[in-house]
Amino acid sequence: MPTFTTTTIMSSQSNNLNIHRLKINPNTQSNIVTINVGGQIFQTTDQTLTLAGPKSLFSQLSEISPLGPHFIDRDPDLFSILLSLLRTGNLPSKAKSYDLQDLIEESKFYRIESLLVDSLSNPSQFDPFNLQKTLILPLNSRDTASAITATPHGALHVSHGSKITSFDWSLQNKSTTLTQFSAIDSMLAISPILVAVGATDFSGLQILDLEKKGLVLETLNWENVTKSGSTVQAIGSSNDFLFTSFESSRRNSNSILVYDLKTLSPVTEIAHYEIFGADLDSAIPATKLKWVESYNVLMASGSHSGPSGVLGNVKFWDIRSGCVVWEFKEKVDCFSDITVSDNLSSIFKVGVNSGEVFYADLRKLASEGNDSWVCLGDERKMGNVRKEGVGCKIEAHGNQVFCSKGGDIELWSEVVMDSSKKRDEGLPERVFRKNLMGRVKDMVGSRVTNLAFGGNKMFVTWKDQQSVEVWQSSVRGF
Amino acid sequence: MENEISNSTPNTLPSDRIKLNVGGKLFETTISTLQSGGPDSLLSTLSTRPGHDPIFVDRDPEIFSVLLSLLRSNRLPSTACSFSKQELADEALFYGMDSHLRYAVSPPPLSGIDASIVSTIFPASDGLVSSFTAAADDGSVCIAHGGQISFYDHNLTHLSTVRTHLEDITSIRHVWPDVAAAGSESAAGIHFYNFSSARYIESIHWTDSTDPRIYKARVSSIADSSSQIFASFECPHRENCILSIDKSTLQISSEITRQSGSATKNMVPGKLTWLPETGAIIGSVVTCGAFGYSGYIRMWDPRNGEVVWETSEPGSGRSSRFGDSFADVDVDAGGLTLFKVCSKSGDLAVADLRRLGDDPWVYINEKNPSMRFIGGASNCVLHCYKSQVFVGREGSLEVWSTENNGDGEGLYRRNFVDKEEDSKRGVIRKIEGGGDRLFVSRENVEGIEVWESSYFSDAILV
Repeated sequence: MPTFTTTTIMSSQSNNLNIHRLKINPNTQSNIVTINVGGQIFQTTDQTLTLAGPKSLFSQLSEISPLGPHFIDRDPDLFSILLSLLRTGNLPSKAKSYDLQDLIEESKFYRIESLLVDSLSNPSQFDPFNLQKTLILPLNSRDTASAITATPHGALHVSHGSKITSFDWSLQNKSTTLTQFSAIDSMLAISPILVAVGATDFSGLQILDLEKKGLVLETLNWENVTKSGSTVQAIGSSNDFLFTSFESSRRNSNSILVYDLKTLSPVTEIAHYEIFGADLDSAIPATKLKWVESYNVLMASGSHSGPSGVLGNVKFWDIRSGCVVWEFKEKVDCFSDITVSDNLSSIFKVGVNSGEVFYADLRKLASEGNDSWVCLGDERKMGNVRKEGVGCKIEAHGNQVFCSKGGDIELWSEVVMDSSKKRDEGLPERVFRKNLMGRVKDMVGSRVTNLAFGGNKMFVTWKDQQSVEVWQSSVRGF
Repeated sequence: MENEISNSTPNTLPSDRIKLNVGGKLFETTISTLQSGGPDSLLSTLSTRPGHDPIFVDRDPEIFSVLLSLLRSNRLPSTACSFSKQELADEALFYGMDSHLRYAVSPPPLSGIDASIVSTIFPASDGLVSSFTAAADDGSVCIAHGGQISFYDHNLTHLSTVRTHLEDITSIRHVWPDVAAAGSESAAGIHFYNFSSARYIESIHWTDSTDPRIYKARVSSIADSSSQIFASFECPHRENCILSIDKSTLQISSEITRQSGSATKNMVPGKLTWLPETGAIIGSVVTCGAFGYSGYIRMWDPRNGEVVWETSEPGSGRSSRFGDSFADVDVDAGGLTLFKVCSKSGDLAVADLRRLGDDPWVYINEKNPSMRFIGGASNCVLHCYKSQVFVGREGSLEVWSTENNGDGEGLYRRNFVDKEEDSKRGVIRKIEGGGDRLFVSRENVEGIEVWESSYFSDAILV
């Protein structure tokens, strides 16, 4: 049973404030609602009850004209906690003495679970500088996690072997389903119950309903010219679209398909490449797809390890026109992993040779092309032959970039220096600084295999460990 | 949940409400909530009592609040943790809602791909378990250890232990709610013991006054249907048979088959399974000799004692896997399928009981190369339960289960149930499912392991 350590002074303060307000404003007397929950009398106002939203049980309470106190046949103690939540938006400190699972079930009964989610697993509570390893979610059976994906409110899906284990937002409940895959390489959460799943040895992208024991709702295939199967190399999504990078089973053509996220019907096909001759660059399918909301472009990147080293390319696609807006080829110190941060308007990579983090400002791409990369470490290592960056992962979340190197996780953040000075001369030089996350005793694994973010949490999986680590900052109430 | 909401819609009339004073603490609830405990419960009787004064019940209010929460929301609140399972069960029995509680505390449906070891049952003395039998409906288990039979109820709480006159019990079967049938390889006959009253009931022996070879027949396996008990007997000179014993009279009703035991193909069946759908009984035996494994699987109709179908291994060249005979066989009674695990290759094969022929076996391939079985299997145990096939190979426990592809006929996939370190505890001797639990016993390891699935993530706090 997880307990959450936190400071509770804040919540009791806001409680006091609320009482204060009531005393000041005597007009609220007229719309006082009296409720009898399991034998205990509670009094609150119409306004408080309407905060629960139109779908909740309370909305019916406030609508019905009072014929004596309303009676609800539920536990009064749990109700008092939820009423406090309604009043202040935060859980009171005494909620700590209750089991979270009881509160969740009770909030489901009153249909106000979303309020509980907002107070306990809100993405706005994500505090990158205050993340601590708090929980370990064990996975049954012997497989290690191959892919993880989280929803914005922190529900988590983990694929291990041919199975997917999904955890709800509170990480209290889990369910495991068996899939048709032998191993899952890419997975994306569409909702807490729907996932898009693909593998590089399996033809087609499957949309699974995890509530219905992994029922395949849809299998999306790319009809390629060679009439062979289409394996999934990467999955990405924006608010409206689902992007999938397919490669034909014969590995002679690849494409990115855009689907409507709601209907799952194909919208358009971009980046269709057929391989002719020895043109190596066209043979590289995109292995990472990231949507850049503020520029309305899709970043697709792929790399290939050949005799002349690792080669790669990064392309930005305008999905409406199907044209490449910007692209650059990676010849020297190609990325081992790459990501894009909308908030920082930059792309970040880990060089495969140097193992150093680079950034390229999206606003400066057009002018400088391939030289846009700015090394955030030792530039001399770019010519390294040791390939220090192999296996590194880099992910952007919020205003930070998280980069794993072996058993360490680096947290990169921008330090805003007096930017007003140089504004007329173009963009100022940007300052990024790194920190190592966690304490020494926390970093026991040999290599980070996956990083995912959802709610106020970061999820980490390690090589050879049959579990998922949860890093979170403390939450009020729990 | 739906009716729960309608129960408590805010405009419940005051006449539906009821006040209870339990041990001095006032509770208010609705009549329909109290009645959901069952028509015969004390609470629903109370709910029909006239008058508006709180009804006084002289019991502990804390436990009552737990049970009231259970009635209201159909789940046990976390406050139940502060009471022992026995305490809750006793109190639920008092209020007449024990079946309600039993449902709430039972584990979720067993799923082999998501099961973990929850406990190990250790009998107090003679911890080495010689045999055990699980009740399919409620997950209670009967353990034979060192001549004793211990019974553990659906909570896995120890209920009773009875000392039998047998030195060791090698086969046991839970034939009535309170009665176990036990057989031993060192003493003749099948013996019935009532474990709730710790009483010996009856012994049945296989006798034939016309045949001097039949004496001191020992039981090697026991199966039962709703009306019959089937036990295979073997004499010191290997003469053997299956006796059908009537459950109501405890008299032998028929002798199904009599075999000389002179060769592998007429040895005593070491495993008997009753098939409720077809009314047939399946027996199998496997021995390991100098030339590898050999054995037979045979299906009898107990009404006339005739053999319906049989296969011997290593049989003739008809088998596509000649020389790779089975190490263990089990029947999935629900799906009418027969599973075997091969002794040499370790492969799993399935046969449809509705279409049995000369070589009915379909060998299941695992597509995932990392999960493909490599190397010979010397100690294989097979058990079918809830449409899943559990296989113990040496110390490791694996499950073959089907994925959901919509029409219910998905591919069988192999997954491990256990972790690497679990397999080091010892060679698995017996696997049996009961309720939503899986019981596993290991060679020379005390106690039996209990595996369950869970909806809870069991997150570990760092």
